[in-house]
Amino acid sequence: MVRPVFIGILGVAIVLIGAAGLLYSGSQELVQATRPDVPFAPLTDDSLKDPDNPAKVFRVDFARVESDLPLSRADLMALTPDNLRSLNQEEIDQIYGRLAAGPIPDGAYLGDLFFPRGEEGDLEPRLEEIVGGFKGRLAGRKIEIAEKLGRALWKGKMFYREERVLRNFIEDFRPLEALIDNPDALLTANVPREGWLKYFRPTTNVWLVFPAKLYCGQSLLDGRRESIIIDYMFSDEIAGYQKGPDSLAGRGGLQVRDEIRMVRPGFYLGRAYVHKAFLLNFTLYNPEVAEAGAADFMGGGDVAEDCWIGEQARQAAVQ
Amino acid sequence: MRLISIILVFVFLSIVGSASPARAQSMLSEDYAATDSIYSPSERAGREIWLFATAFNDRFFTYSYPQRLGAVIDWYKVLAAEKKGDLFNAWGAIPNPDCCVPGDENCPAQSLEETYGFQWCPGDDELLAFVGREGYRDPACDFVDGPFDTATPHGDVDQRQDSCDLHFGTSTGALGLRKFPNPRFDADAWTRLNGSPASWDGYRNMLSPDPNDPDGRMNRIMDGSVEPPFRIGMACGACHIAYDPLNPPADPDNPAWENIKGLVGNQYSRISEMLGSGLSQHRLEWQLVARARPGIVDTSALPMDLVSNPGTMNAIINFARRPVFEQRVLKWRKTEMCAVDADPDACWCEPGKAGKCWERSEKVEDVPFVLKGGEDSIGFNEAIQRVYFNIGSCAEQCWMNHIPDLRAADPAQRNYGQTPFDIGICRRDCASFRAIEDRLDDIKAFFLTARPTDLWQARGLDSPRDLEVALDDEYFDGAVEEGRAVFAQTCARCHSSQPGPYDNVDFTATDPDDPTLRLDWLGNDQLSPATEIGTYSARSLHSNHMKTRVWEQYASLDLHERAHDPNRPEVMSNAGRGYYRNISLLSTWAHAPFMHNNAIGPEICGKPSDRAVDFYRSPYVDDGGQPLADPPNCWAFDPSVEGRYQLYKASMELLLNPEVRTPKMFLLDRDLIIDVAPDIKIGDRELGLSITIPRGFPAVSVNSLRYKDLIQDLVLVKTDPDRFDAKYTENLTPERRDELRAGLLEIREGLEKMAGRTVLKLALGQTDVVQASTDQSLLTVRDEFVQGYYSNVLDRIENAGHRFGEGLSDREKQALIAFVATL
Repeated sequence: MVRPVFIGILGVAIVLIGAAGLLYSGSQELVQATRPDVPFAPLTDDSLKDPDNPAKVFRVDFARVESDLPLSRADLMALTPDNLRSLNQEEIDQIYGRLAAGPIPDGAYLGDLFFPRGEEGDLEPRLEEIVGGFKGRLAGRKIEIAEKLGRALWKGKMFYREERVLRNFIEDFRPLEALIDNPDALLTANVPREGWLKYFRPTTNVWLVFPAKLYCGQSLLDGRRESIIIDYMFSDEIAGYQKGPDSLAGRGGLQVRDEIRMVRPGFYLGRAYVHKAFLLNFTLYNPEVAEAGAADFMGGGDVAEDCWIGEQARQAAVQ
Repeated sequence: MRLISIILVFVFLSIVGSASPARAQSMLSEDYAATDSIYSPSERAGREIWLFATAFNDRFFTYSYPQRLGAVIDWYKVLAAEKKGDLFNAWGAIPNPDCCVPGDENCPAQSLEETYGFQWCPGDDELLAFVGREGYRDPACDFVDGPFDTATPHGDVDQRQDSCDLHFGTSTGALGLRKFPNPRFDADAWTRLNGSPASWDGYRNMLSPDPNDPDGRMNRIMDGSVEPPFRIGMACGACHIAYDPLNPPADPDNPAWENIKGLVGNQYSRISEMLGSGLSQHRLEWQLVARARPGIVDTSALPMDLVSNPGTMNAIINFARRPVFEQRVLKWRKTEMCAVDADPDACWCEPGKAGKCWERSEKVEDVPFVLKGGEDSIGFNEAIQRVYFNIGSCAEQCWMNHIPDLRAADPAQRNYGQTPFDIGICRRDCASFRAIEDRLDDIKAFFLTARPTDLWQARGLDSPRDLEVALDDEYFDGAVEEGRAVFAQTCARCHSSQPGPYDNVDFTATDPDDPTLRLDWLGNDQLSPATEIGTYSARSLHSNHMKTRVWEQYASLDLHERAHDPNRPEVMSNAGRGYYRNISLLSTWAHAPFMHNNAIGPEICGKPSDRAVDFYRSPYVDDGGQPLADPPNCWAFDPSVEGRYQLYKASMELLLNPEVRTPKMFLLDRDLIIDVAPDIKIGDRELGLSITIPRGFPAVSVNSLRYKDLIQDLVLVKTDPDRFDAKYTENLTPERRDELRAGLLEIREGLEKMAGRTVLKLALGQTDVVQASTDQSLLTVRDEFVQGYYSNVLDRIENAGHRFGEGLSDREKQALIAFVATL
């Protein structure tokens, strides 16, 4: 049963983006970032032994991680979209569990994505660790390719805060053209360019696809406080929706559901689910907002919270 | 003096009234308040909390339940004012006598638009003004506390948590279900979706009328962007409030407060169906939460343990004489201070409240076994507090992160399985936990007020002797006395809390200091292997009490280490599983049908006017497990004295004559299709996976399957054989381990041959473990293999067992039925 689940999900992802090739691999800098120097709890809680299954892995309770090892604002400033990619999934989870939703963003946020990394060896994709034994299916190289292709094609999210909707943007819809009902009707926008090309052309025109609703809701990872939910299930009500390709992410398709929490102003960490199964992490970054908000954030300025922040005092050092 | 007192009271009430327009529940209803007069201040406070406090679960039912657990409740289907007449018959809910249908004579609300389609209930004049905005002052803020106990280590300064955190809200029209104004409600968006403020149709109706269309299994309750006007919460009373066996209402659809008791347990409740009311019955989630007969609920359906084990709501009566047992108990206890450098996991003081500290330590204590397997065996107060988690309280703050994500398939992933809820952290992080904990003595005081409901009183007779005369007339001369002798010889060994021999024991003796209190609990409350009793064992296989599981901290250390029953066939059945606490026979005449799952006796059912909410399905099957073409009729809900008595008699007949019981087993009445990955065709590539479980399968085979272990093992058996062996070293013999390994490899091989869209189908009665169809897209797996290794429950017949007494003569059985009716 494992195999088809992952094949189904990733297979679609690969087919969706695979036709594009690596046309734009040069547009996104692949930086080998160093690990951020922020505190983490042990990766496993070895004090727990399940009576039925001695092989079961336990993690340290988020409530305990947060109270024992809160992330200070300096810690949060030390995190970047690049250096998060150097962490294994449990470390990513421990960061996410120590964040709050923050304000629902507005405007264009550049995106990046990465699949969960395991804890053994050299950060092998977790999917490879799980399904690597299935002959001919999704060996590590294929997952790596899927990640590269995803990064090359998906560029970010355009938030419409007042309308509580969002659209994803891609730089070139041609790889998806066969899936689009009416290419001429696609919405477009100008967004800051990423990668080395930005030094020549700072903005680029992108196509807006896969609309989604925005609301405060339940995190599927950490129930202690709400996250900002990006929900594709009922996106057919959103202006500009086209069945092809937008329904692929909707309730008749992959039933994609993202959730994000704010690392610091202008920078969000997200999780993408397909059919409520966790698939990958992503980051959203708006350089202008990040730059404008940095000094105030470090100075202990208030951070707007649009969602329910729960009762456990967020112990990040605010001073 | 009297005049001064009156003036003072008047001045006080004026001050309270002007400063605080909201009122505590006891002040909202004169008729309710009138029933308070028999209670002490502590008991009154405890009663009010038990009946009305939700302790912050309205967010759980509005957000966590649909978004995280994937199940949805159609509250309008249950609570619509226009459906008031079906509350009892459809849902077993007890109508609130104080609520009214807008537009009815004397109802303060004139239209359904004012109340968003719900009934109007006391306090709504205040509440409705806050739908869509912040600032609502909960009636619990005006709750009048019971006296503060100055004799505890917490000292003589009253530092109880703010009563606002009890979260009362106002009634929904069904007792125990409370509503709160949703500050996120958008009236314009609601009207656009539904056409009117009073309608919920756009929100609740399936998107397509065709159940075969995936949209036919989807509604907008699953759309988290839509905020309903109310957040609905649940008090403990939702399951425990019921009609008073001594004073039932003439019309169950229109009771008065004097007909209602808060502790008797609602044997008509269809709370399980309520919890699945917003789901298509084709969905797996419906199968997981909504398969139960009236009066039983699976309290491990929310903190899912993959054991389908619904049980009755315990009748809380005569608890002062409940047996207690010496157990090693590790728990938090009140203390006046902690050392400055104390480990907060061992000693913790509430910030800002000097002297309000808690220390965690192990001691030997006498504790009751209240739950059916003794899973709440660390003390009476803690057993009460645990109930609040069953109803969703403090879910986000304390326990959502400790229950499994049903879709998490990666064993290294957080939320893959259960982890232990931490009482200390919950106390720290959830104000509503503290609000309840600080008042547990009041709730306990209320519990201790409940007494048995004797049949002689219910019939309005003058004395127990008059009942014996009537029963002798009904059965035969001397029947009661002869039944007493049969009981002493046959039943008392388990169903008396007095020591034997029983020949001259007075089973109905009362406390000389309190003639309303029985001396005999009529049960020894001891834990026995379910295999010894022979009854349907699902409830005994509870696992949430085990080490590393969600409610580990609510079980005694002895329970964790209870001896494994070697007769249990399930692979996973150690660590305290497989035992039932004996039950009390107090007031048995009022609590039929019998057993922990209400399965021995006639099936009971409501007769709602709306067929869409008639949830009765015949569970009767033949010896081959096939549904009976002409099953026995169900008995209509009848809370009258005579109705309860006749149900008791019929249930006793079936209890004592097991050979005439028709087997009961809930079956899937339609194919259950679980869409794991969607069907998508891109070019010539076709993808998708669904699992089909055909109709006719026992429901327990679906909702008790350890499917995650199955998935993990399918991987481990090939990628990490050593780890696979280590996993089963303790639980399987080498031979069975080999058989399991071989079967898994066979399934795996079949899966690897699959191409394109795959349907995995479970099959009954097939000899091969797997069978691939010729088109390579359908893989059939023999259910016997899957169930044998991966089911938490292997019993199937729900009304089997407890054959004690079947060898008695007919006369002895009649005598016993007559005598037990007097208990």
